[in-house]
Amino acid sequence: MSFCLDTYLQQSDNYEIHASKAGFKDCAMIIRFKADDLVYIKPGDEVLGVRVIGIPPIPIGFDHEKGTVFLPYTKPCHGTSVVELPIDEDEVEKIRKLDTGNKK
Amino acid sequence: MKALVLLGCPETPSQTPMAVYVFNRLTKMGYDTTIAANPAASKLVKISDPEGLYNLNLVDLERTLGEINEGDYDLLVGFVHKDAAASFFVTFDQILQTKSLALVFSRDADEVAEFVTMIEESGSNALIAAVRAFHNPSPIKVKFDRAIKEFE
Repeated sequence: MSFCLDTYLQQSDNYEIHASKAGFKDCAMIIRFKADDLVYIKPGDEVLGVRVIGIPPIPIGFDHEKGTVFLPYTKPCHGTSVVELPIDEDEVEKIRKLDTGNKK
Repeated sequence: MKALVLLGCPETPSQTPMAVYVFNRLTKMGYDTTIAANPAASKLVKISDPEGLYNLNLVDLERTLGEINEGDYDLLVGFVHKDAAASFFVTFDQILQTKSLALVFSRDADEVAEFVTMIEESGSNALIAAVRAFHNPSPIKVKFDRAIKEFE
């Protein structure tokens, strides 16, 4: 069965919230600041089983030392959060393939 | 022709009557119209039509996001009154690659400008109808009536 972020966040406590109920731009800035490696994807691209919501270019960050990913997570009533959770190399490679290279 | 109407967080009072109004108008224009909303926003709309007179077609927002593809709809209309709603609208717009109309409103004029900028900076070709409004749906209705003529 493939990984699903929504299910993971409901059933695991092995993740960290770096911002919550924030605006998308603030969350994008936090990801750029926290991560040591970044890729930029389009809105609607699928990461960890969910379509990522946001304003392009959407940063997805990695901390390779910790083996984690930072991504924005948006809900209609709760705004955008930055979630950091463990990720394996296969998923990192899948996300790299989505990189638009557009940082503006 | 198919149209998708996106609702945001239900805490703004004017969204629910405008959702029914937009649904009715698009249906009369010949669109097979669907409203995508989270459960709370959806209940507000559903209870507004107890006899089912409008045949409102309501679907879950997040499930719809997971299922849609480019070309599934001929028109996207989104209610944008929060930062998250702007993000949702831009994401649906980018996936569907279709004609789109953003109804941007807030009680705060700075927020209206901010949400318009978010949509414009995303590279969207959406028509944006923006107005300062919160409790009173009339300013949004006037803007919508004017903007929707572009799609007739």
